[in-house]
Amino acid sequence: MSNLLNWIVWLPVLGILGMLVIPKSNETAIKYWAVITTAVTLILTLILWNNFDPTIADMQPNFMVKIPWIAQFNINYTLGVDGISLPMILLTALLFFLCTLASWNIPKFIKAYFALLLLLEASVLGVFLALDFFLFYVFWEVMLIPMFFLIGIWGGENREYAAIKFFLFTFLGSILMLVGMIALYYVSGQGANSFDILSLSGGHFRDLTVTMFGHDLPFNILFFIFLFIGFAIKVPVFPFHTWLPHAHVQAPTAVSVILAGVLLKMGTYGFLRIAFPIFPAASIYFADAIAWLGLVNIIYGALCAMAQTDVKKLIAYSSISHMGFVMLGLAAMTVQGMNGAVLQMFNHGTSTAMLFLLIGILYERSHHRWIIRPDGSRGFGGLYTQLPKYTIIFIIAMFASMGLPGLSGFISEALIFIGIYERFTTITVLAVFGLLLGAAYLLWMFKRMFFGEVVEDNKQYTDVNAREIFYMLPLVAAVMIFGVYPAPILNIMRASVGKLVMMLNTF
Amino acid sequence: MEYTLTSIAPIVLLPFLAFILSALVVKKSDNLAVGIALSGIVGSAIFSSRVFYDFVFGVYSKGYYIHKVFNWFDLSYGDLVFKVDMGIYIDNMAAILLFMVTMVGSMIMIFSTYYMKGDKFGYGRFFVYMILFSTGMIGLTISDNLLSVFMFWELMGFCSYSLIGFYYQKESAAQACVKAFMTTRVGDVFFLLAIVAIWSVVGSVSFVDIYAALADEKFAGLAIFGIPLITFIAISIFMGTIGKSAQFPLQVWLPDAMQGPTPCSAMIHAATMVAAGVYLALRVYPILEAGHILIFVAYIGGITALGAATIALVQTDIKAVLAYSTISQLGYMVLGVGVGAYNAAFMHLIAHAVFKACLFLASGSIIHELHDHHTGGHVQEMPRMGGLRKKMPLTFIAMLLCTFAISGFPFFSGFVSKDRILGDAFVMATQHGSFIPVAILGYAAAFLTAFYMFRMMFLTFFGEPRDKELYDHTKQETLLWNRNMPLLFLSIFTLGVFYSGSFTGQGLVKVAGDRYEWFSTLVQKPHVENFKSYSKSEFNYEDSITRNFEKSHYDASHGMSADKAHHVHHIHSIGAVISIFIALGGFLLAFFMYFKKSINPWASKFAWYTKVLKNKYYFDDFYLGGLIQKGLLPMNRFFAWIDMGIYDRFFIDGWERVLAVCYSAAGWFDRIIVDTIFVDGIGAGTRLVNVILRTFQSGKIQFYFLVGFIGLAGYILTLL
Repeated sequence: MSNLLNWIVWLPVLGILGMLVIPKSNETAIKYWAVITTAVTLILTLILWNNFDPTIADMQPNFMVKIPWIAQFNINYTLGVDGISLPMILLTALLFFLCTLASWNIPKFIKAYFALLLLLEASVLGVFLALDFFLFYVFWEVMLIPMFFLIGIWGGENREYAAIKFFLFTFLGSILMLVGMIALYYVSGQGANSFDILSLSGGHFRDLTVTMFGHDLPFNILFFIFLFIGFAIKVPVFPFHTWLPHAHVQAPTAVSVILAGVLLKMGTYGFLRIAFPIFPAASIYFADAIAWLGLVNIIYGALCAMAQTDVKKLIAYSSISHMGFVMLGLAAMTVQGMNGAVLQMFNHGTSTAMLFLLIGILYERSHHRWIIRPDGSRGFGGLYTQLPKYTIIFIIAMFASMGLPGLSGFISEALIFIGIYERFTTITVLAVFGLLLGAAYLLWMFKRMFFGEVVEDNKQYTDVNAREIFYMLPLVAAVMIFGVYPAPILNIMRASVGKLVMMLNTF
Repeated sequence: MEYTLTSIAPIVLLPFLAFILSALVVKKSDNLAVGIALSGIVGSAIFSSRVFYDFVFGVYSKGYYIHKVFNWFDLSYGDLVFKVDMGIYIDNMAAILLFMVTMVGSMIMIFSTYYMKGDKFGYGRFFVYMILFSTGMIGLTISDNLLSVFMFWELMGFCSYSLIGFYYQKESAAQACVKAFMTTRVGDVFFLLAIVAIWSVVGSVSFVDIYAALADEKFAGLAIFGIPLITFIAISIFMGTIGKSAQFPLQVWLPDAMQGPTPCSAMIHAATMVAAGVYLALRVYPILEAGHILIFVAYIGGITALGAATIALVQTDIKAVLAYSTISQLGYMVLGVGVGAYNAAFMHLIAHAVFKACLFLASGSIIHELHDHHTGGHVQEMPRMGGLRKKMPLTFIAMLLCTFAISGFPFFSGFVSKDRILGDAFVMATQHGSFIPVAILGYAAAFLTAFYMFRMMFLTFFGEPRDKELYDHTKQETLLWNRNMPLLFLSIFTLGVFYSGSFTGQGLVKVAGDRYEWFSTLVQKPHVENFKSYSKSEFNYEDSITRNFEKSHYDASHGMSADKAHHVHHIHSIGAVISIFIALGGFLLAFFMYFKKSINPWASKFAWYTKVLKNKYYFDDFYLGGLIQKGLLPMNRFFAWIDMGIYDRFFIDGWERVLAVCYSAAGWFDRIIVDTIFVDGIGAGTRLVNVILRTFQSGKIQFYFLVGFIGLAGYILTLL
């Protein structure tokens, strides 16, 4: 059991090694191998969930892995799991499993595609499990490589542009994070300098100053900003968001799903795991700004979403809007708001993944994504008549995404509002209108795509097949079950989140 | 028998289970799904009847309530406490509403087996949505807190959306369902805001906690945006009612909602969901009172009642008349809440649910039989009807009884309830001048109600058939269990005696030896003081509680002295008498205009006003054509353009240009300065030196001598 986290992170890499011996021509074997690898990883994470002790707020001691790595610099290979990372781990493993199934009809370079997908999975899981900042950074950077190629090779017509944009944006964030990390390393030296996230946490650097350009600047404020921008680009927080619509539109389905479902959460996870615990005082200091940025994300993302005629771009902007709720919940720094934020990370992961998967299913039939084509004609219309089963799944995904009570999104949004109200009343009052806009763009999109008479060239589309239903069902179940009964997810996170909130509240 | 959580839960769990099962089997068999859905609602009705009996005639009728709580989830850690509880709260009001919802729901669903049978858009699918909707409404009725009210409220909104858009190939249905959902959502976000604000003060949104907090004056002194917090909360929560109950200015969605199948209009847009808004207002009445917005509530109700009634005058679609009359009647209920006619508003809610459900079903019974063989569709337009009472006598009887009820004729339910509301409005108007317009709005609407309802009756059932071909094709009505039985059953309950208790005032409920009218006795404003002793710590999650508050006495005189009560009663009677004459007046005008035809319709006399009414006071044009088409959508496009066309293009990709300039500058520097001057310069210099040296090393002895000579000469020169 003590090596479970190692297995979870490295199993996809073993999968890549195994895949190397499969001949390139045997595409079916490659696909099944990828499915098996991700399925076993998912099972391992479920075992982890099963053995998780929700009463422990700290890292689960049973699962800690700590191996000296680069001993000269006191860098350790440290993995650990707590209530904040476990939901992300579960989400990641689930989505990668579903994404391999959704990648059945990848047109070219099958072997390379699945190998990169598995590499991506390993690096994302590594990010969520790493407890050494250096290791975290390594996983964070490794993640860029498969993403770059997955978008750049298997993407849409403008893929190179999107891939480079994604890469440069994220890389800019990484550099800032790197500077922050090295700065932390040098001030951490009570005893030996260290990248250990747990020992850096707790607000040790409150009174430090750093001299720059002849001014004494507070260390925690300055480097909080560095880390903040590094993570904010990933969320993405306005104004660092414009890579997202490009990347989403150009990326192949599975990569869009991973991008929206998991990678965006790495940004907010970075706040929860690194920026907030290490710089609690600065976090409190910037809470107002974070909340306002969250509000801008919600409203601006929703307004932009409503104007889109490309359905994937619309959902991409809706992600920006929804991640704004997470930012609001984080800024609340109350037990309701923080739990709501982590829950929203999970719920947005499932509901947006559903929407992207569904759009991918549609794209495989239509080879376009226009709600309204650039020439003004209808790209989709009357899909309700044409694709009844597909429509039912789409309705569930859409209403989960807009936060209909009874489906998962509502509880997290309600918790966030309850959490934020006491601190930022004005922002709360403005942010609830994000719910209104959220319903507006989704329903309007749905109306244009699904109601009415069937558009002529939509008449050849076939309804979802068994494989597609199979990989949608776990997500359908997740949004429905956690919408009615969120306790299983909330129970695993509440102690860890509560501890973080308590720590923040002492500053 | 003592109620436990498990003995009450089937009321809501049965329909929910039925929903899940019917949704699973609907692809396989429509009939099976319908059967499951029907058993779900009927089963719930049976459980509800027991609750109804206990709370009206039995042990719980003395002002008890059942409050069962369980923990939904718990985020507490250390001394940070945050628990979310769900629970069931049943008092007399909830019990009555529960009974009505399940009974009327059963009738409507039975009728649906007639109306929806063979529908190509899905006979079973319709029932799946209906039973899910019933779950929502039942759940809302017995919710103990605002959060679960909100959840069920939105669930109903979803079902309403789905059922309005039931005929998904129709563009109009697609428009209508989005409009309905979005318009109610405007109210809902305010409602959610109110929930959040209450939570921050009370630490819970359970009704009993809120009442206790009001009694303890926890809201005193709190303010938001410069207004008292409780007023803000009251307005926000009332916005929920405005949206859901289609009150002015968010009334626009309800007429369009008639795009759905008629039984769904009967269920959702007449009997239950729209009434849920009023029910919410009644539940949070102490908040509205504490926020001092009752006069605002009364005006909204009055304006809605009259405004919708005027629009109903010019409608030719039979369902549209009923839709506007629903808005108008909901306006009465809200008006009733505003003037403090608490139990009358609730009574009108119940009475209206029964007669309006029946009216809609009756209209469905007509529409379903009027089949246009040219277009293949059903006919809803009254100008093509006429004389139908001969073809459909049973439907006619049911509809006539309901029309008497809605018009407020004596001995019918509408008289009992509406006249109490109007009477209370009249009393309020005599006491406070600011309520005079409210009373006038109410009476004017009452006159119009009788007029347009009888106009509808005369146009539909009397006179000569105006579309002879259609009339001749229509089958003679025969008694069908699923067509006529629900209609006739519901129409029986339009009689006032079921609501007032008896003709003599000797009611059905016996308290302390005296008999009382059951509505006014059982349904009373929540007295927040009763809840003062209530504290959260008494909760025991494992063992949920039944709390019993015995009311000291039934206060039929609203806490007034006997003299004053007598005086008020006197004024009340005057108000009631006025409304009888007003109803008669409306009836007579319709009679002479549309039956005797001795008065010509006034549409031509007031052409401009007719035009205004036909355009529904231009609300749709303002919202859709103005706010959305001219405001929201251009704004969206503007932001999207800013985002991609300006921000991303110049400020993000612009870095590429900046970098390109930097590159070229660096390149220039590299090429010109470094390369040309330094690197190449050094190279060139070397070459020059090389050339020079090479020149020197020419190997010609004469040149060496020459150089040697020049050097020597130069040296000698320097010495000189």
